[in-house]
Amino acid sequence: MQRLMDKGLEQLTATVFKMGEVAEKALTIAIGGFVKGKDTSEDVHELSEVLVAMTVEVEEKSFSLIAKYQPVASDLRIINSYMKIAYDFERYGRYAWDISYLGKRFGKLDSCDKWVHENIGVMGEKVLQMVKISNTALKSFDTELVKIVTETETEVDELYSQCLNKIVERAEITNECTVTNVLVVRYLERIADHATYLTEAVVYIATGKKASLR
Amino acid sequence: MSNLEEKMSSVNLNAWFGQKQVLKDISMSIKAHTVTAIIGPSGCGKSTFIRTLNRMHELVPGARMSGQILLDGTDIYGNEVDPVRVRRRVGMVFQKPNPFPTMSIYDNVAAGLRLTGTKKGKNLDKVVRTSLEQATLWDEVKDDLKKPGTSISGGQQQRLCIARAIALQPEVILMDEPCSALDPIATAKIEELVVQLKENYTVVIVTHNMQQAGRVSDYTAFMYLGQLIEFGDTTTVFENPKSELTEKYITGKFG
Repeated sequence: MQRLMDKGLEQLTATVFKMGEVAEKALTIAIGGFVKGKDTSEDVHELSEVLVAMTVEVEEKSFSLIAKYQPVASDLRIINSYMKIAYDFERYGRYAWDISYLGKRFGKLDSCDKWVHENIGVMGEKVLQMVKISNTALKSFDTELVKIVTETETEVDELYSQCLNKIVERAEITNECTVTNVLVVRYLERIADHATYLTEAVVYIATGKKASLR
Repeated sequence: MSNLEEKMSSVNLNAWFGQKQVLKDISMSIKAHTVTAIIGPSGCGKSTFIRTLNRMHELVPGARMSGQILLDGTDIYGNEVDPVRVRRRVGMVFQKPNPFPTMSIYDNVAAGLRLTGTKKGKNLDKVVRTSLEQATLWDEVKDDLKKPGTSISGGQQQRLCIARAIALQPEVILMDEPCSALDPIATAKIEELVVQLKENYTVVIVTHNMQQAGRVSDYTAFMYLGQLIEFGDTTTVFENPKSELTEKYITGKFG
């Protein structure tokens, strides 16, 4: 038997899953654009704004469900987690825009260190992989996938550290290179953190356990 | 909270009405100065369970029980134990407010003490006032003590019944769906009162209202078909229940 709350929960779930798709798209465009030296800021900004509006929508739907049905147990865990996850997706959008804006602001950075640029590309791929896997884990409440995200986050953290070291070593190239690369690796590292938070929420939904995976 | 002193407990409790077994091997510990909520679908044995806690179950023709109910470590069903004394120590408030219809507000609260002859005159006045104060009713009725107990609102009548129970200075107060006949405002007052009461008493409350159990209780027991399915601290039971049956019941996915 369908409960009165189920329809609202289904709508909320659909909105959160849609946010995941939009956020993944924004990051794919932004990271791909940065690696190829292409200005994607307009498209990414648009997607980022969509995510901001959808976060508000998730909050409103969640509050309405709480006020109307006073959910408990797995219902409560889902709603609570969806609000947190919506924030993670909103941050994805913001970081995607930040990354794409750097391309617009500083243009092509051909003279920057090749090693750093290549490794930012590797880091970007790993981060996108984390985003995709955590989205899949969310849709299936699959806690097994969480391990892959956690392992990849460790690799991203290692690359972040290596890139920072290299940027400091080669800081003499140009100030634009230094600023851009520091910011991009920082944004990528933060996106990876949010992908990990998201999987922590998946664990909480599925098991009720508040895991700290970082 | 697990370090709290135990006030009451049931040990391998079974109960029957005639041939029908309504409670099956229930063992549960009730901590002193806490509120324990008993939840579960109609007919699961909630009311029967709390009625075994003050020997009211045995008043029903054909009813019997086995196992133990311990109050401060002593079996209240022991041969030497006076059931009237047990019911004084373990008071009961019922679903529907039931003040004595022919008595005034004052006399309703004083009735138990007069019957037992324990308080008279000014002492009686003092106990009536204290009981009404503890039931958060004094300010509302202090000028109308001679009016009939049935002349006040349903919510006030229920608090009058709580004052009547308190007047006998019980140690445990059992409440069987005390808000089911009340509007939301009166319900909120009773809920506030329940939380206050645990300072001086141990409270066990049967409720059909999940949110009420969540709001007022420290521990929650979920019963189903006469069995205790889950017992734990209220936050855990409502956020992350261990039993799938509990999950289904509290989220309304039952049946």
